[in-house]
This record gives sequence, C-alpha cells and structure tokens, in this order.
Amino acid sequence: MSEELIQIETPFAFNEENQREFDELIGRYPIKEAAMLPTLHLAQRQAGYITPAVMKYVAELLEVTVMKVKDVVTFYPMFFEEPVGEYVIRVCHTLPCALRDCKVVLDHLKAKLDTDIASETNLAKGTTADGKFTLMKVECLASCDVAPVIMINDDLYKNLTAEKVDEILDNL
Amino acid sequence: MVEERRILYEHLDVPDINTFDVFRQYDGYTRFEKAIAEYQPEEIAQMVLDSGLKGRGGAGFSTGEKWSFVPRDIEPRYLCCNADESEPGTFSNRYVLEKNPHLLIEGILICCYAMGIETTYVYIRGEFTLGKKMLDAAIKEAYEKGYLGKDVRGTGLNIDIYTHPGAGAYICGEETGLIESLEGKRGQPRNKPPFPAVQGVFMKPTVVQNVETLCNLPFIVGNGVEWYTEMGPTYADTRFDPPKPDANTGTKLYCISGDVNEPGVYELDLGLTCTELIEVAGGLRGEEVKAVIPGGSSAPILTHYELDTRLDFTSLTLAKSMLGSGGIIVMNETRNIVDCLLNIMKFYAHESCGQCTPCRWGTPWVRDIVQRIADGNGRKDTITRPKFGVAENGRWGDTGETEEIYEDLDLLESVANNIANVDTMTWNTICVFGIAVSWPAVSYMRKFRPEFEAAIREGKLVTLPVAEATVPPEENYAYQQRFIPKEFADL
Ligand SMILES: Cc1cc2nc3c(=O)[nH]c(=O)nc-3n(C[C@H](O)[C@H](O)[C@H](O)COP(=O)(O)O)c2cc1C
Ligand code: SF4
Ligand code: FES
Repeated sequence: MSEELIQIETPFAFNEENQREFDELIGRYPIKEAAMLPTLHLAQRQAGYITPAVMKYVAELLEVTVMKVKDVVTFYPMFFEEPVGEYVIRVCHTLPCALRDCKVVLDHLKAKLDTDIASETNLAKGTTADGKFTLMKVECLASCDVAPVIMINDDLYKNLTAEKVDEILDNL
Repeated sequence: MVEERRILYEHLDVPDINTFDVFRQYDGYTRFEKAIAEYQPEEIAQMVLDSGLKGRGGAGFSTGEKWSFVPRDIEPRYLCCNADESEPGTFSNRYVLEKNPHLLIEGILICCYAMGIETTYVYIRGEFTLGKKMLDAAIKEAYEKGYLGKDVRGTGLNIDIYTHPGAGAYICGEETGLIESLEGKRGQPRNKPPFPAVQGVFMKPTVVQNVETLCNLPFIVGNGVEWYTEMGPTYADTRFDPPKPDANTGTKLYCISGDVNEPGVYELDLGLTCTELIEVAGGLRGEEVKAVIPGGSSAPILTHYELDTRLDFTSLTLAKSMLGSGGIIVMNETRNIVDCLLNIMKFYAHESCGQCTPCRWGTPWVRDIVQRIADGNGRKDTITRPKFGVAENGRWGDTGETEEIYEDLDLLESVANNIANVDTMTWNTICVFGIAVSWPAVSYMRKFRPEFEAAIREGKLVTLPVAEATVPPEENYAYQQRFIPKEFADL
C-alpha cells in the first residue's frame, strides 16, 4: 500500500467515545499489539469497514506496521475491506441448519432482496443496489437447536421460515 | 427413561440470574469463598485431579493433569477461557454466557486461586455479541462487589478478567490458534511442544480451558470430590496392572440437533447411549436413525448399528470416534450421507488456516472430490481389476473375481489420509484440524460406501434405505480397528 493511496482517502481517527473505550482496553494487555482484534472491531463499527486509512491509524496506535494490520484483517471473515450494507445478514448454512432447511431461508432472502450472496473477496456481489443489505453465508453460529438461524447485524433470529423472514425484514 | 440432572444449568432459567444479587441467592460465589477459606491452592488442584474432570472443549484431556504441567515458579501465569464455540453442532457455552455469566466468573476465580493466576482472558467468538455484553456486565458487577480486582474480598489476591472478541475464524478455537489470535495475530496454531501450559500467551505458562470445564469447578469445590465422582461411569483400564481408573465423571451438556423433535441442550450424566439421548430429546423426527455424529462435526460418524454406544470419553474412543465438544447431530433415513459430507467439507475447506500444505491443499481437494461425486461427475474407473482377498484355498491373494474401481473413493481416502492418517492416528499437520478433516471424510465414506458408490454409478445423488446404505460392522475396516471393549469393565 503506497503512501499516496492512503493520502487520497479521508483520514480516520476514533471519535471521543471510541477513543475512551480504546484507552480502557489497551491497558488490558502487556503488549499493545494484543489489542488488535478489539481495536479493529471498534474501528469497523465507526467506519463501516476497514479502509487503508483505518489500517494506518490502527497500526500507529498499536505501534506495528500497516502490513501487519492488513495481515490480520485479511485473515478474519468478520472484518470487511469493502463497504457493506446498513444491515449485514448472515445466514448459517452448516450441517445442523442445512438439516432444518436453511436453503429455503437463503433462497427466499436472495429473491426478496434481489441480490446474490456475497463472497469474502466480493462483498459488493451480495449488497443490494440501495446499499441497505448485504447477504452472506456463514458457518455454524452455535445456535443449532433453534435452526435455521440468521444474524442481522448483532441480533440472532431463530427457527426461521420464509414468512418469518418477511416479518423480520418488514420490522427492521 | 434417563433423567436430566441439571447442575451447571440448574438455575439457568431463573429470572435475572445474570445479576449478582440473584446469583448470590442461589449460592453464588459461596463455593469460591469456601475454596479460599478452607483450602490451600494446591488442595484445590488436587481435588480437581481427583474429581477426574476432563476438558469439555474437544480434546477431553484431564483438567487436573493439565494443571500439573504448569510451572509454578514462572510469573505471570495466565488463564484463557475458550468461549470460541464454533464446532458445528455445539451451543452449550452460549447459554452460560448469555444467561448465567456469574457462574463462569466463579469458575474462573477458583481456577485462578488454585493456579495462582492474576489475569484471565475470555476469548469469545465475535458473533456472540449478546454473550459478550452479558459477561461484560457481570464482570463489572463482580468488580463492584469486590470479587474481582485488587485484594479480592480482603484475601490479598489480585484477579482480573477481560473479555476478548474473536472475529469469525473457527481455527481460533484451537488452543494455540486462540493464543496467537489473542496476541493480535492471525489465529494460526503453533507447533507443539512447547504446550501452552509451559509457554502460552505472551510466552508465559497458560491454562486454556473451555467454559463448561470451568463451570464444573464451583460444584466440585462446593459438593466435594466424592459427590462429583458418583456421577458418570468410571471404567477400569485392564491393559494396565493394576488397572488404571478411567474416569468419565460428572455431567455433560449434551447439545443435540438435527432430526430430533426437541433439539436443545440436555445436561445428563456422562455415559448414556445414543438411543437414550435421542429419546430424551423428544425422539427421532422421522422413521429411522441413519447416522449420528457424536461430538461435533469433526467426530467420525456412527451408524445405526452403533446406537448402543455410550456417549462418554472412553466408550467413544473405543468406538473409534470421540465425544469432542458433545455436539450430537442426528440424521434420519431421508438424509444423503454424501450430501452431508459435502456440507461438512465445505466448512473445513473454508476454515483451514492455511499454514500447512497438506491441510491447505488437501482439504479443498477432498471437498472438490465430494462435490463432483454429489454433482454426478464422480470418477469411476471402467476397467475392472482382480479382486484381492481370501481365495478359495483359504489364502490371501487373487480371488479370481473382478471388482469395479471407484477411483474417486480411493482418491478421497488417499488424500484425506495424507492430511492425517485415521488408522495410524498420525498427522502431517501442525494442529489436529487435519484429523478433524480426515476423520469425517474417511468414516462417512467407509461406513456409508454404498451411497457413495451409488452416486458415482448413477451419476446423481441417490439416497438408499438405511439398511442398504450402511456397511455392516463385520465388513467395515473402520470397525475392525476397534480395541476390544472387554478390556474395560465397570469399576
Ligand atoms: C480445530 C479445533 C477447534 C477447536 N475449537 C474449540 C472451541 O471452539 N471451543 C473449545 O472450547 N475448544 C475448542 N478446541 C479444543 C481446544 O484446542 C482445547 O483443547 C480446549 O479449549 C481445552 O479446554 P478444555 O480442556 O477445558 O476442553 C478446538 C480444537 C481444535 C483442534
Ligand atoms: S492443520 Fe490446517 S488449520 Fe491446523 S495449522 Fe495446519 S493449516 Fe492450519
Ligand atoms: S449449524 Fe447453524 S447454528 Fe449451528
């Protein structure tokens, strides 16, 4: 990532609230680098996704190279390097959910939102034209007793059917 | 019918049990107080060893033994609580975090006291937003009440607990992957040894323990070792002289999902059979059990011939499977095993951390083979080859018959066994994720071979009736490798 690339982006810095939270969590670890995941979560919550500017900022905060931050960001599926919709819909499709017809839920969402499923390298593919939703498949969400399940942002929805999905989307 | 015995989950549904005051009404923190008032740290460690408690996270390793490896002269030491819970089919830790977080804190306190640990990190998977919120709130309360922080309850102990969010990578559940991730790096497992007990997080001695394991500690301390060891079977391993006790003590939070009427978490004494568990979970949804996965998706599958297998650490190891995380997935007669394997292999291909070549390349390769079998493009060698076996004269050799070769099935087994060999239990990888890939791949294929063959032969997925789809135990190589359970007798 060249300096120029970073320059043309809007610079990033934590807002007051996140700065306070960051100051609190950095004290938890004997080395700064260990605060990487919580810091990236904070940054992503504020910026929407991890831009090069965010990576640069986090690298400076934790006193590591930008490359090191990039290394981490690319490893973890929960960090996005592209813009995502206002609502990120994660549909579980691992075996226990598959045994309870998660495919019906997934197909219904695809049709209703008129979008494809995002892949980790192409989030735009699963994002609706109005930028409201991003649809993605995820692995077991540790709620197989109430399968099929989806997560919309931070909330879990259980025992889904096509009708329930309609209801949930209408109430968002 | 087997009765549930709720210990860890006893007060789970009490309203507001997540608050300090209500938790306190139900004996909350009294076990920790008992520990510090009545016992020395070493005595607690000895109690845990004597209780026979085995880790509930996957490996089933004796907790007391693990603690005994921790060098007590190196400071600081750390505790990492593994709340990454991502093994498909497992969901018991989630309820503890969301509903009864103080119980976990009490367990952590006891472990910290026994091991002289001052700092604990609870590694919570990133998707558990609610669980993390509830635990954070409970930790805050515990600080306010003086159960955490400097000079806990006037004892001079300093204990801190911090939560640390993961970010959606399954491999961070592996203990050294977790440690790397906690240090702010990619969650790529480390070579062992050194084991975390000696050199773990920040290169210091570290105890890594699952949520459920830690939640057992208050009850072992509170009710005593004798009370604890009465639950669950203890076998005598007669391969040793004198016979070595092989403990499966305590209760287990069995997570049951798939084709049962009432999926959920059931807390039962270790050692009930598959059939009994299915009955407890409201019975089978469907006509007939086709297969049961006994310990999360990594565990080798059990067929309908094996439903009398007891779901405890020893019995499942003898059955060449494992209790693992205790996630039991039931499949009925309508399920196609090729399809199920494909689903699981997609999971593993996605979750390999990519460090070791056999795993990075082998896992997607296995997935691709299963994919093409499922798509109807499975490769079948049209040439027939002589069939080797016991010939008419009673000797091993050419039987004079011919057999069709299912090239893809041979390839599947070969690729899987080159990641990790399930027969010799040796792996060519850094972590046992490799075994978690080849175990399902090879066991599904060997035990349900007719269904795989049918898919290749017919060029499409064919779901055979249960009896036809399953290879009987006497013909199955996987079963032949079994130890002889007679060596184990109830003590
Ligand atoms: C690929 C892989 C994934 C694992 N995932 C988890 C997990 O999600 N939760 C867990 O507690 N243990 C998991 N384990 C087991 C841990 O490595 C470790 O054995 C366990 O946390 C030790 O705690 P225990 O002795 O209390 O069970 C996993 C192991 C492997 C190889
Ligand atoms: S076996 Fe797979 S998951 Fe484990 S360290 Fe190697 S590449 Fe990573
Ligand atoms: S498989 Fe969907 S929650 Fe476990």
